[in-house]
Amino acid sequence: MTYAVQMVTAFLGSMGFSILFNIRRTKLLIAGFGGALSWGVYLLFGAVLDDGPLRCFLAAVCVTVYAEIFARVKKTPTTSFLVPGMIPLIPGGALYNTMQYAIAGNWEQFGTAASYTIRVALALAAGIIVVSSVMRMVVAVIRFVRIRCIRPPQRK
Amino acid sequence: METEELLGLALDIGEEMLISGAEVGRVEDSVRRILTTYDVQRADVFTITSSIVVTVTDAKGKTLTQTRRIRKYATNLDNLHSLNALSRKICAEKPDSKAIRGELSQIHTGKTYPVPVLCAAFALIAGSFTLFFGGTALDAAAAALIGAILKFSVLLIDKTGVNMVFANVVNSFLVSALAFLCTTVGFGTHADSIIIGNIMLLIPGIGMTNAIRDIISGDIMAGILRFCESVVIAIAIAAGYSIAALLFGRWSL
Repeated sequence: MTYAVQMVTAFLGSMGFSILFNIRRTKLLIAGFGGALSWGVYLLFGAVLDDGPLRCFLAAVCVTVYAEIFARVKKTPTTSFLVPGMIPLIPGGALYNTMQYAIAGNWEQFGTAASYTIRVALALAAGIIVVSSVMRMVVAVIRFVRIRCIRPPQRK
Repeated sequence: METEELLGLALDIGEEMLISGAEVGRVEDSVRRILTTYDVQRADVFTITSSIVVTVTDAKGKTLTQTRRIRKYATNLDNLHSLNALSRKICAEKPDSKAIRGELSQIHTGKTYPVPVLCAAFALIAGSFTLFFGGTALDAAAAALIGAILKFSVLLIDKTGVNMVFANVVNSFLVSALAFLCTTVGFGTHADSIIIGNIMLLIPGIGMTNAIRDIISGDIMAGILRFCESVVIAIAIAAGYSIAALLFGRWSL
């Protein structure tokens, strides 16, 4: 039940942010589903993995692939779907906990929460970078092969 | 086209992209591509989150530099989409300055959502994340109401033009105080969930992630700036929250 509520609210929350970012028409729905997808993957890996940041990394990889595909379909920068899709994963809650511990002067738990926040942010960034770098390499290889096939190098 | 005019136009596009929420790498890449489409020998672009510096050497060997200072961002991914399409078109078709200027002004007058819709979006986000972080339905209703009020407060503070830190302190204080007030009256039970739902609207989680993304992809300066910015905003939000907690005697966690 909680999972169902989280999936639906992840979708709605991502769509809400897409409105704030001025995303329009069908792209709104695509962005919203990106949010639901990222949280769904996170929950799914919860069955086998215990480590939050690692699950975030895998979810980030999935949502980046999703964003890259739909960015090409819709001919728009990847950011349009990537940023809203990341919303449920971003360490907003963890950052909130971190500062709450700091205010309470609970330094031991502050350290744990702060390092968790940074690790999640690192995992998300790494997930995005891995996919976008691989994507760039694949595109470069395809272009190279295509140019070679269509226009064979001329001999002087 | 005159080199000076070309440089100005390329910078206009780059500036708009950065304001709309493009990554630093994309801005540098787009500006360089636009410039090298035309008759220039060399183009060097350096961008951080708050400034763009471009130096071009034209075909006659004359060197020109222009900089732009970016003070404020307003994430607008629809604009970014149009700007990206424009820069692709420039590289493919090499249009003259008048055509580019026309397209740019068209992007400027592009549609944005009206304030009531944005207000509803704030309410939707706050309500959703209150549920997401384990609040009850009543908590979500309270959070949605506070979210709508928060939008007005954000707008008002934006008009006065105070600095980012103070604005965040005020907004976070408002949210926390209203949440404590609601739970005291009995409108909602978990002040924590209500506050966290609204704080998702303020907290720089995206900024933090983008900062690390910039650093990994080699834009270390931009990444460090963005990271510091996120930390400062997080501290400002914490300050606002703690003032409210002090006032309402909710110091214990």
